[in-house]
Amino acid sequence: MTLWKISVKNIKTKPLYTFLSVFILGLSIALLLGIQQLKTSFKYQMENNLGDIDMVVGAKGSPLQLVLSSVLHLDNPTGNIPYAEAKKLSRNPLVKRAVPISYGDNYKGYRIVGATDEFPTIYNAELAEGRTVEKSLEVVLGHTVAEKTQLNIGDTFKSSHGLIDNDIDVHDDEFVVVGIYKPTLKVIDRLIFTNLESIWNVHDHDHDEEGHSEEAHAHDDHEDDEHAHDHEEDKHSHDHEDDEHEHDHAEGEHDHDHEEKGHSHEEHSEDEHAHEHDEEKEITSLLVTFRNPTGLLMMPRRINEETNMQAALPKFELDKLYEYTGVGFKTISLIAYIILVISSIIIFISLYKMVKERSFDLALMRVYGAKNSQLIRIIAYEGFIIVFLAFIVGVVLSKAGLYFMVNSVDSGNSQKILQSIAFHEFFQIGILVFGMIIVAVLLAINPITKMNISTILSNEK
Amino acid sequence: MIQTENLTFHYKQKEHTFQFPDFALQEQENLLILGKSGIGKTTLLHLLAGLLSPVSGNVIINDVNISSLSASKLDAFRGQNIGVVFQKNHAVQSLSVVENLQARLFFSKKKIDNTAIDHLLTELGLIDYKNRKVNALSEGQLQRLGIALSVIHNPKVIFADEPTSSLDDENCKIVIELLKRQAKQSNANLIVITHDHRVKSSFSNTIAL
Repeated sequence: MTLWKISVKNIKTKPLYTFLSVFILGLSIALLLGIQQLKTSFKYQMENNLGDIDMVVGAKGSPLQLVLSSVLHLDNPTGNIPYAEAKKLSRNPLVKRAVPISYGDNYKGYRIVGATDEFPTIYNAELAEGRTVEKSLEVVLGHTVAEKTQLNIGDTFKSSHGLIDNDIDVHDDEFVVVGIYKPTLKVIDRLIFTNLESIWNVHDHDHDEEGHSEEAHAHDDHEDDEHAHDHEEDKHSHDHEDDEHEHDHAEGEHDHDHEEKGHSHEEHSEDEHAHEHDEEKEITSLLVTFRNPTGLLMMPRRINEETNMQAALPKFELDKLYEYTGVGFKTISLIAYIILVISSIIIFISLYKMVKERSFDLALMRVYGAKNSQLIRIIAYEGFIIVFLAFIVGVVLSKAGLYFMVNSVDSGNSQKILQSIAFHEFFQIGILVFGMIIVAVLLAINPITKMNISTILSNEK
Repeated sequence: MIQTENLTFHYKQKEHTFQFPDFALQEQENLLILGKSGIGKTTLLHLLAGLLSPVSGNVIINDVNISSLSASKLDAFRGQNIGVVFQKNHAVQSLSVVENLQARLFFSKKKIDNTAIDHLLTELGLIDYKNRKVNALSEGQLQRLGIALSVIHNPKVIFADEPTSSLDDENCKIVIELLKRQAKQSNANLIVITHDHRVKSSFSNTIAL
């Protein structure tokens, strides 16, 4: 016989109240933990995907879009930039590593990203099997891609134009799978990696067939999205005239671009000469890692002011994004706190009821020789047992809830995104909940301290 | 051994002061305190059991003046040396029969001797209800449990507050005999406080309030 045992027995005599207390407190703990874990996971996932990319350079437009499209591969690209310009930037002494990437096609919704060999190293991706890309039209699959598409080494596939899976605009060239990466939990898991030449070649071919000039087609790349959207909205009414119109528009832009290029020619004619071939090529963006923070201060401004390209800082853009998404998190947190207060009130009522209704039992224990402090401990232990059970319920609920959520919104981006919550955050929630319960217990035991056993025992019912 | 000296008590709300006669009991001596309702019987019992503190006077049990003990020492003393049978024989509702007895021993800081508990329950005919919840017992069973709770810890004095008021003649006799027997086995004084004149013949020592 211990005080704990008496507390447990007390709890067992009021199953409904206990269930209610545990359930509602568990719910608030689950919400608090869940929201914290989602927040942590979301942030970690975003930042993890950055690899060590400090800056992205792409076509002018929304910097957030540039980051979302070229770093997180969630959005459509802003446009293309001349490869020659990108190469020039790469040679800046502040740059540690610059990886040009180019994309515009997909296979079953997974983006085919052409880049230099350094691309996998951004994400520390290692080959699980096969070898790396050696020549054009060879690809290495990210882990998720391999898993979902069931493609194996030696398999071939044809890519679709645009970034959304479609059967209408399919390129003729066949890609062959030469390798598969180990899972990295980063964005490369859901990408198909190839070299830049593959991307250029696929579009060159198409282009020849269609009888457009090479550059015009390359430009068409950044109109992909519109194509893709058209397809989605009405797959069968692909209007050729529309197409024409867009091409015209693209060419218009191209002309404009060309002037800009001409401008840079004058300044860096030597460079341009050395890479005359590259000059005509275009890429989607350039992922830059600096040698030191000085680069962060100097280069973005210079690029934005002096060139027709834009530089975006992924970390900065994502921080801005958190501020927006933070509102949602805050609302849910607020609801969780309100539920926590309500559950504390319910626990208080449950304990207070016990103290009042069972006052004769408590007085009887005093006659048995119990001290006031022992009675208080019995009540306090009841509170602790409820909190303990609620914590278990809360953790289970939050895990189950998040698991369900992550699986139900499997958009191909979810990966294994759940991060376990940091101990200090878990601890903070624990302290908060315990604080509330201690207040509830203190209020509930108040009558015990003023208890007059003689009066209670005289008023036998 | 128990004795009282000049016990008085005053209820603030009622503006009424009770004065109680002195008495002294030797080892194994029993006492019947008879009195009408409202004359302060329960007040006297609470004073004797250390549940109330007297305005003046002393209660001395086994050479300890319980009126002079601090609150926590009084709790401990009461737990170890005093047994009380209440009018309606309450036991802790959330515990079973056997758990009540274990809790009784636990709070009086005595060794929990399950053999002794079983023995007592057998003697009082409660062994079959050992694991029942208190609220599943009949009135008679509850009363016997009340008696068991007042003696399990081998107290020095057993107080019984109106133990027979709701019983018929036959059961009245049985309960008084049971109380006397248990008190004797524990080597304790038995003090019965009641208005029930039927029990008068069972006691040689009587005080009228």
